[in-house]
Amino acid sequence: MAIKSGRYGTISYDPAGVTPVALIALNKWKLSQKTDKVNVTCFGDTNKVYVPGMKDLSGSVSGFWNSTNVVLFDAVDAATPGMLKLVPNSTEATFFWSGLAYIDADIDCSVEGAPAVSGSFMAAGAWNMMP
Amino acid sequence: MPPDSSDVDAALVAKLGADSALLALMPNGVYVDEAPPGMTRFVIVSLVDEHDEAEFGRRAIEDALYLVKAVALSTAGANIRAAAARIDALLEDGALTVAGYTHMTMHRVERVRVTEVDDLDATLRWQHRGGRYRVMVAPT
Repeated sequence: MAIKSGRYGTISYDPAGVTPVALIALNKWKLSQKTDKVNVTCFGDTNKVYVPGMKDLSGSVSGFWNSTNVVLFDAVDAATPGMLKLVPNSTEATFFWSGLAYIDADIDCSVEGAPAVSGSFMAAGAWNMMP
Repeated sequence: MPPDSSDVDAALVAKLGADSALLALMPNGVYVDEAPPGMTRFVIVSLVDEHDEAEFGRRAIEDALYLVKAVALSTAGANIRAAAARIDALLEDGALTVAGYTHMTMHRVERVRVTEVDDLDATLRWQHRGGRYRVMVAPT
């Protein structure tokens, strides 16, 4: 194990929710896992005290618009969640996060550069970190 | 293996050098960075700036800025204005065919117009006219 470059990250998705396939022209993803904290502070405590509640899971993806692959935008209209798989570095392909997700997408087109796409997702089922 | 970025430079030079109207105005030809000694009417192409945009695992976009200008000695009788206009007609929103790449855009971002005093003979002037052109290509 070592610190790896993000250059070889991957984002894979399967609208059927089974076998994710790598999406092209993307260059960034972010996964956020936050757990609700319940305030259980009592009289006499010297500071506020919390206990963990339910974990929330969401994130974002981004890259360039490529008309040969519009999976991200098809996913927006999907009635059922797809399987999303996020790999930090494909040279360590066994390390990844995956799970069912609903996706929203944006496209940002400017005269100054290549049209950029971005998307956000939220869990639609249990997510796993592997291994 | 990524395509050869120098092919983008070469394609730009070839496009300009293949235009008979431009060569009629600048008969000494099209050169990268500097023309051979003795030339008095020519076109110069220089790479001013370049940066690459990455996608996961590969280069996604090569974004280059080229200086493209007609250069003429004041005594050579050149129509520098027409030469600059011809360069712009060829490059502004023009297509560039480069092996291993998909053309994205080519357009001017800045005009260039300079008069330079000759280094050896202060009575002579060199006229430079053209522009800086942004060329974006995507490796296939």
